[in-house]
Amino acid sequence: MKKVTQILSLMMAIFFLVSSMGNAQSKNKVRKMEYNSKYNYEVATIAVGVDGTKLVKVWGYGPKPEEAIRHAKELAIACAIFRGFPPASNGAAAKTPPIVTDDSVIEKYAEFFDNFFAPGGKYLQYVNLSTDAPPTGEDRVKVNKKTYKVGVVLSIAFDELRKDLEKEGIARRLDAGF
Amino acid sequence: MKTLVNFIFIIALALNSFGQAKKPTIMVVPSDRLCISKGFSQTFDNQGTQETLPDYKKALQNDGDLRLVISKMSGMMADRGFPLKDLEQELKNLAQEAAESNMMTSSSSGSAISESPIDILKRTAKADIIMDLDFEIKRQGPNKYIVFTLNGLDAYTSKNVASASGAGQPSSAATPEILLEEAVLSYMDEFNGRLMTHFQDMFTNGREVKVMIKTFANAGISLEDDYDISGNTDMLSMHIEDWMANNTQGGRFNLSDGTANFMRFEQVRIATEIERNGKMRAQDTRMFVNELSKYLRTNCQIESKVYLRGLGEAWLIVGEK
Repeated sequence: MKKVTQILSLMMAIFFLVSSMGNAQSKNKVRKMEYNSKYNYEVATIAVGVDGTKLVKVWGYGPKPEEAIRHAKELAIACAIFRGFPPASNGAAAKTPPIVTDDSVIEKYAEFFDNFFAPGGKYLQYVNLSTDAPPTGEDRVKVNKKTYKVGVVLSIAFDELRKDLEKEGIARRLDAGF
Repeated sequence: MKTLVNFIFIIALALNSFGQAKKPTIMVVPSDRLCISKGFSQTFDNQGTQETLPDYKKALQNDGDLRLVISKMSGMMADRGFPLKDLEQELKNLAQEAAESNMMTSSSSGSAISESPIDILKRTAKADIIMDLDFEIKRQGPNKYIVFTLNGLDAYTSKNVASASGAGQPSSAATPEILLEEAVLSYMDEFNGRLMTHFQDMFTNGREVKVMIKTFANAGISLEDDYDISGNTDMLSMHIEDWMANNTQGGRFNLSDGTANFMRFEQVRIATEIERNGKMRAQDTRMFVNELSKYLRTNCQIESKVYLRGLGEAWLIVGEK
């Protein structure tokens, strides 16, 4: 009887171990999907600047803080183009609509965007880092053993980006058709 | 081969130059509330009722903040391909035009320029889209903040086609000028985003306009009179409605009111372009109503007068020219 109880306990332990590993794996999978999702922008507007610049705080992910900063820059520009920035909670800035409102341009100009967002690509021309050192404290979170999440304040040359995309024919001009 | 390329280029150029919609004019106008609250108003007795109206000239001559905001907005709109009509300049031009019209005479007979009361009445500052601007600098303890409202109003349909509003961030250090500049920078992108949506809707579903049908009193024509068009005997108003259904974009229009003497069509969607003399041309409401006038002349032998109220509104006055 004692042996049977031991075997049953062992089986139960293995079952819980396997199921918890499965949960952890699926959690990791979900997290990975979220990191890679084109809809996942963690952005907050801080202020608007002169000459069409926007000051935003963006959260990026990466294996190292430097990588996460690079990801944040990419996300900030993608957000300006495809989703727009939310209004600032303190009233310092209103909502900024996306530069591109037609979803089909992502597929239509896939090659352009691949080159645009490539490492060292043209997207870097429109983003300036307002802080020099990698973030510390609450702006630097170690999500798991392999991933950092960092929040950086970036200055985006929004009007310049819009004008260049309009020149490329990707964004529609306000006076198009007249 | 070179000739063929040149030919294609010329055709493309021709299509591009003719196949474009009429560009609406936009003007920033300070709101009634802004003018009246700052004392830039005129009060007069309208048959026993005291009426207060904004005095735009006074406001533009005396309010530096207003000029700053309009200037900033004008710059941003010009940058987006929509240079704004300047209200102050328009008022000056109108005064100058009136003076010149009064003084002008013919060198041979000394005749003055013919001008009907309607011509004089029409001499007002107008635009197709009015950017109705309102702002107020408020205080909260030592802090100042801006409450900013901007409404884009279609002058003909009276619809609010774009808007942006909100309260700015309180600050004790920033001057009112800086706060105002921040407000314009902050809200213009949202406003232009909505304006873009309005234009896209216009290109997809047609320009939304207003059409009025009226009758001349001396003509003795009622919109309830029966006419026969291609074997179909019906009231004139029904024939007009049928024409509207056949000639509007997607048959979209709304007869919002009507009697034997008038019909008011609202939410009339007309194509932005029309083929005329073999070329595609931008269409406005006057051109659209002119086609109805021709239809009535051909099928009912009724003369009518087309009266233009602007890019988005025209009247057809039935009975006489």
